[in-house]
Amino acid sequence: MTQLTSHLKLLEAESIHIFREAAAQFRAPVLLYSIGKDSTVLLHLARKAFWPAKLPFPLLHVDTTWKFRDMIAFRDKTARELGLDLIVHTNHDGLARNINPFDHPPSVYTDVMKTVALRQALDAGGFDAAFGGARRDEEASRAKERVFSFRAAGHRWEPRRQRPEMWQLLNGRLGKGETVRVFPLSNWTEGDVWRYIALEKLDVVPLYFADMRPVVTRNGQLIVVDDERMRLEPGEKPVLRKVRFRTLGCWPLTAAIESEAADIDAVVEETLAAKYSERAGRLIDHDQAGAMEMKKREGYF
Amino acid sequence: MHLAQLKEDVATKTAAAQAPHGGALVRLLTCGSVDDGKSTLIGRLLWDAAGVTEDQRAAVTLASHSRAVNGERIDFSLLLDGLQAEREQGITIDIAWRYFETPDRRFIIIDSPGHEQYTRNMATGASHADVAILLVDARHGAKRQTRRHAAICDLVGIKKVVLAVNKMDAVGWSEARYREIEANFRAMAGSFNFAQVTIIPVAALTGDNVAHRSTSMAWYAGPTLLDYLEAVDPEAAPADAPFRLPVQLVLRAAGDFRGYAGTVASGRIGLGERIVDARSGLGATLRRIVTMDGDLPSASKGDAVTLVLDTDLDISRGAVLSEVPRRPTNADVIEARLVWLSETPFDPEAGYLLRTATDLTPVTSMSVSALVDFETLASQPAHACSVNDIADCRILLGRAAAIDLFRDLPLTGSFVLVSAIDGATVAGGVITWAQAGAPAVGDNVLVLDRALLARGVCSDLGDSPADLAEFNRRAQEVAVLLRSVGVPVLIEL
Repeated sequence: MTQLTSHLKLLEAESIHIFREAAAQFRAPVLLYSIGKDSTVLLHLARKAFWPAKLPFPLLHVDTTWKFRDMIAFRDKTARELGLDLIVHTNHDGLARNINPFDHPPSVYTDVMKTVALRQALDAGGFDAAFGGARRDEEASRAKERVFSFRAAGHRWEPRRQRPEMWQLLNGRLGKGETVRVFPLSNWTEGDVWRYIALEKLDVVPLYFADMRPVVTRNGQLIVVDDERMRLEPGEKPVLRKVRFRTLGCWPLTAAIESEAADIDAVVEETLAAKYSERAGRLIDHDQAGAMEMKKREGYF
Repeated sequence: MHLAQLKEDVATKTAAAQAPHGGALVRLLTCGSVDDGKSTLIGRLLWDAAGVTEDQRAAVTLASHSRAVNGERIDFSLLLDGLQAEREQGITIDIAWRYFETPDRRFIIIDSPGHEQYTRNMATGASHADVAILLVDARHGAKRQTRRHAAICDLVGIKKVVLAVNKMDAVGWSEARYREIEANFRAMAGSFNFAQVTIIPVAALTGDNVAHRSTSMAWYAGPTLLDYLEAVDPEAAPADAPFRLPVQLVLRAAGDFRGYAGTVASGRIGLGERIVDARSGLGATLRRIVTMDGDLPSASKGDAVTLVLDTDLDISRGAVLSEVPRRPTNADVIEARLVWLSETPFDPEAGYLLRTATDLTPVTSMSVSALVDFETLASQPAHACSVNDIADCRILLGRAAAIDLFRDLPLTGSFVLVSAIDGATVAGGVITWAQAGAPAVGDNVLVLDRALLARGVCSDLGDSPADLAEFNRRAQEVAVLLRSVGVPVLIEL
């Protein structure tokens, strides 16, 4: 590996420090485990923080029942091999109402099967702190997020009520009804996550690596057909293409990319190059909005 | 940066010494107002140094033309535009974090708001930084705001400061103008504790002396901004600083394993060396330094480790493990300089808790003695303080805590003040004086303990988390009432 890696040890120590602060200050923490690359790094850092003791909190996976089969297999294998206390929660009310990604708009589906499901699970477990894998480099709105992000009663995020964080002092004293999200990966970038996975030789879900998979193209997006619940449009026929995923979620809503990157080094290389294109994409979006505003001011519409 | 290019650069540099482990990550504070060209400077730095790809360049170039902000020139501040949009949505006045890397170093940019009324946000951001870039407009020189920024950087312990004199193109690349600003700033900086002050003439718009050496300022022989950032040593502590490890938690595992987990806050420690718990004064010998990657022979500042001792000291979270010769003070009275962060002003009768490295100590009483004036940097006697104020204060603790002076050891000499009622962080401060043996408050201190409260005020509460929180809230409110009529109170739940 020729990429910069010496800073990863410093990021690792910072994350371990955060895990320990949270575990010491909160009564009942839980680690939100979503099976993806960020969760893989998060879990690894948590194990380092408390080793040789066992993890002092359980893992929680919110299962929408639409995750890739490879993800579920990876989750169960990981939990078994590491002896983890894994809680799997599904919103059974949503399931009974057959809320699914084909018949419902993504916003409705996501709210019922993910957001509501998460709230149900956190309330049922009486958890006062939840570790998440969010990073500040993900998008602009995250760039100002705290390491300890407080939620008022009902899990509401109030930007103005967030606490200032000075030096390495993390104040975890909760007010009435408050809970907290803890982000140990705050200062990591997507490139760091992949380089760390390579450096520490961590297993990830095989879907991150390029392989021949059955694909249909919808609105220019590559959807991999993961099981028989796929609803093909008339004339649609899955074709085998060499693809991989940059992020993992519910398979009908997660687009693959064409790629030849079949191993970790190739993925690191592709990620470091692609990352900037992603940012450029955001810039273009923003510019189009700005250009539109100019045209409006000029009386275009 | 393109990976191919990255590899090439790394390959050419492997012959030279690699950046030291500790220098691989640099936290960089940028302060200055929009008028000084801060967004343009950061954008230019990302553009020239951090590897902006061709499609990004094309997008920004296109955007610059469509907005015609700078005529034919490129508007580098567009690289930060996501954040500016965010500002308009209402999470204004907050710190934004950005990231970039060069072949040898990863940089964290802590972008703090420039406006004067946001002292608290600036202080919060600055507390995380190794290096600060203060930006001034060459036409105006250092302003009142520059002095304020320098004072806050000094307060939170930044030792390395760069004054970037921007818009040199607007003063005809004048060496005389640069020398004038330089002399003024060096005089101002002399009243602070900076270890290194560097003054660089730049033009962010044209990129002169940002990443590329200016051809218009041949009279300037110092480093470009990027040269400086790639070379600066982010470590502020002396190599022989005393060992400190604030205990975060005690880990127990199979086979009678008992270890003290924490991050080394200062100095180093090796196997077989003596360690003392500063609070109890009990000593032990270091037997193992445990990590999941295997045991280590020694640990240094920044390492997150678990220490195993040869004897059980019976200590818990909040203890500070120290070397024997140079220990923290076991203090129950401190003097400190703090920045008030909360919208709710300081109230001598409210309940506060002192959060040091890993300890949380009840405050018995607290008084403000002075406010710092940023015009003169002098202290004016005062008894009150509110949001954005910098104040000197005296704090009596309900029990002793292991404390260092901030000027010696920043990580064990700093604190945040926490509201005992709602948990909010109300102030952040640095300890300027600490001593054991607070004047005894006497036998008339009322100790509010669990049994006393459970008998009456809280007799309707059970063991649920909500009830426990309510129990605590009532205890604090009772204490506020008692203090307001002059009864010293200590809460021990």
